[in-house]
Amino acid sequence: MANDKNNFQLVANGILAENPIFKLALSMCPAVGISTTVMNGFMLGVAVLFVQVFSSVTISVFKDYIHPRIRIPTYTLTIATWVTVIDLSLAAALPEAYAKMGIFVKIIVAFAIITMRLEMFACKEKVSSSFWDGLGMGLGFLVGMVVIGFVRELLGSGAILGYDVLGFKPLLFFILPSAGFFVVGLMMAFFNYIEDRYKRSKGQK
Amino acid sequence: MNVKALYTVLLAALVCFFLPAAGAAAEVITDKSFGEANEIVIDFAAPMDPATVGNTDNYTVYEKDDPDIRLQLDEVIVADDRLSATLVFADALNTTQTHIVTAEGISGRAEETFAVAQSYLGYLFSVLIGALLIKNFVFTKYLGLCVFFGTSKRKTTAKGMGVVFTLVMVTSGLMSWFFYQFILKPYHLTFLQIVVFIGLTSLTVQAVDTVLRKVNPVLFNSFGVFLVLVIANCVVIAVPLIMASNEYNFSETFMLSLGAGGGFLLALYLMSSVSERMSLARIPPSFKGLPIAFIVAGQFAMAFLGFSGLKLF
Amino acid sequence: MKDILTIVFRLTLSCILAGTVMGTTFVLTNKAKKHNEHVKEERVAYSLLGFEGEAPESVKINSVHRYVLSQAGEQFIGYFLPAGEDAGSEFVFLQIDLDGNLEAQYPVDIAPEIAADPAEQTAAIVAAIGPGKSLRYAEKYQFITDGGERTAYLIAGKFPGFKTHIAVMLAMETDFSIIGFEVLEHEEDPGLGAEIEQEFFKNQFAGKPFEVLKDLDVVKAPIPDEYMEALQVELPPEELEKVMEKYRGNDIYALTGATISTVAVTDGIKSMVKKFAYRVSILDSVIKDQNISVSI
Repeated sequence: MANDKNNFQLVANGILAENPIFKLALSMCPAVGISTTVMNGFMLGVAVLFVQVFSSVTISVFKDYIHPRIRIPTYTLTIATWVTVIDLSLAAALPEAYAKMGIFVKIIVAFAIITMRLEMFACKEKVSSSFWDGLGMGLGFLVGMVVIGFVRELLGSGAILGYDVLGFKPLLFFILPSAGFFVVGLMMAFFNYIEDRYKRSKGQK
Repeated sequence: MNVKALYTVLLAALVCFFLPAAGAAAEVITDKSFGEANEIVIDFAAPMDPATVGNTDNYTVYEKDDPDIRLQLDEVIVADDRLSATLVFADALNTTQTHIVTAEGISGRAEETFAVAQSYLGYLFSVLIGALLIKNFVFTKYLGLCVFFGTSKRKTTAKGMGVVFTLVMVTSGLMSWFFYQFILKPYHLTFLQIVVFIGLTSLTVQAVDTVLRKVNPVLFNSFGVFLVLVIANCVVIAVPLIMASNEYNFSETFMLSLGAGGGFLLALYLMSSVSERMSLARIPPSFKGLPIAFIVAGQFAMAFLGFSGLKLF
Repeated sequence: MKDILTIVFRLTLSCILAGTVMGTTFVLTNKAKKHNEHVKEERVAYSLLGFEGEAPESVKINSVHRYVLSQAGEQFIGYFLPAGEDAGSEFVFLQIDLDGNLEAQYPVDIAPEIAADPAEQTAAIVAAIGPGKSLRYAEKYQFITDGGERTAYLIAGKFPGFKTHIAVMLAMETDFSIIGFEVLEHEEDPGLGAEIEQEFFKNQFAGKPFEVLKDLDVVKAPIPDEYMEALQVELPPEELEKVMEKYRGNDIYALTGATISTVAVTDGIKSMVKKFAYRVSILDSVIKDQNISVSI
């Protein structure tokens, strides 16, 4: 079923229908922990995008050489390699942003979403489709992180990307990490509600 | 090998592990410790002469790392029974540092030198409590959430997952420590830590899987299915990374892994208890399943915030 | 059998490939990382001292490194300093005993670029002091000179905070009054203890003379309005100076909901300054008495 989607649909799939954070509910640790500002969310989103795209492409390129019995270790090795690369690069290129993200860049290696995507898609599809699929998933994650970050930063420190927008801090609670749970939970419920309405309106046609 | 024997062996190992910390004190001085913020309390074996013991000039105290900075001693209060003396300093002491005290004329020797430090055992326990409560991996550090939400629906699954996870955590944590200390650091390969740690965890899971299958099939049937989920758990990679960045030693790594696993078990158990109740409640359709679980987890996270800054030792 | 061999072969190949990719990235990024750290440190230093962007030509940052030396069961403090123009070597290592008397001095002649690397520096000193002694690195001080005259000090310190630890960089005048400080690392709670990074908190320490610092305490009271305006630099210069002068001898006002963090920072800075002042006075008297040629 996935084969006959064109590239744009692949990307859109990653952002909407199978959004990693809101729909698939995978890789939620950073969504809760690090999304205190838009910038944080964006940076981590970019890191995950990088790892996802490169891993998908790598596995797709080598898919014929991967022995089925060792495919999970191979996926893990690939992901770990690219995570190390992005980790070292970020630490060197953007030290301040990197320091804020702490351990979360290294933890990308344990994200289920990336392994799952490799298992379900990249090892079967051709390189170009894998690239677009990876891009879609990565972008879905990025969008999710930025949206959560936007809500939390606006309501928590009254600013966006560091610029004071509201002039006061509505609820300090939102930048405390525990609020991440609330925001993600509420947004998931919202997504569910929208999808429900959409399905119902379609079903009634 | 049955479970009871295993438990006895573990218990014996733990006791032997903690015993050496008791240590032998000098003959004249039976105990020394930090008192109030700016005090050191010394206990003696026999009643001492207040004139010698109470004389501030007889003491030299400095922090182990700063031998040239002599701490200013205001006075020495000798107890009525002359069996203990309290050294009162002008400034608050930095109790995280070991302090070296040299006392003249209180024993047969010209001077007696001893070290005063916070109990190492206490420190180890604070690492354990830290990983368990104060910096609970699920509610304070927000790691391991995917698996957390997946296995916290019923108490039985929660317990199973928690126990298996602790086991794998401790094993892989200690193995990672070995690898880090003896292979990665000496050969300047620390940039490979991500690959090595995740590799070791996979290996541990594989090993536990095989061992459990052969040794105790019954146990395997109830817990085996959780083993695969351990790999997708962020906590399992976070613990070795923390160990590496803080340069923990063996005992500290053991405590950290134990606390991480225990904290995860605690979080799972708490969450599953609420989950079981929630299945009987009336929840709006959009919220059913994950959204309401997230909100409950948020409330737990707020509660755990109360542990912030807890200091037991 | 053949299956296993293929698996092992392919796995090994993948590992080698992965290792090469990571190794190359590491080599490429390591240099950039070290450079970034150095640039960041310099930037923090200059901003603390009040220079916007680049510092003038005549201003130099001289590093003085302190070591602890153990010899025959006794301990000494060692200072690695840049030697003067007329000395025979680039650097000199002074061994001072715990009572403040010079035990020995050793010339260390290595190029400044090499001395900047900690491992090379330690190796050179170990070679200079000879056998039978063990060395432990303690800390680094930065003596700022303008045209050869000392104008300021920069020291870094780490002390326990409310959560784990707090690391700061502190700038002082030559009379040990505080110019200002920057919080480098902390793990305090956002909105509560993390407020120690705010200007209005840090400015409370600015300008406090050494005499006031020695007995500095924390008072649990809200900051008076006029003081708050001054701390946030919302007053014209003359008024600002008057208000700051008025509160100069006061204790530090605690942050709302973060008394322990405030006390941690106050005690930490107090301890840093007192220890440093003690050590520098000993170092200076040794240099003067023994007529050692130094460029700081």
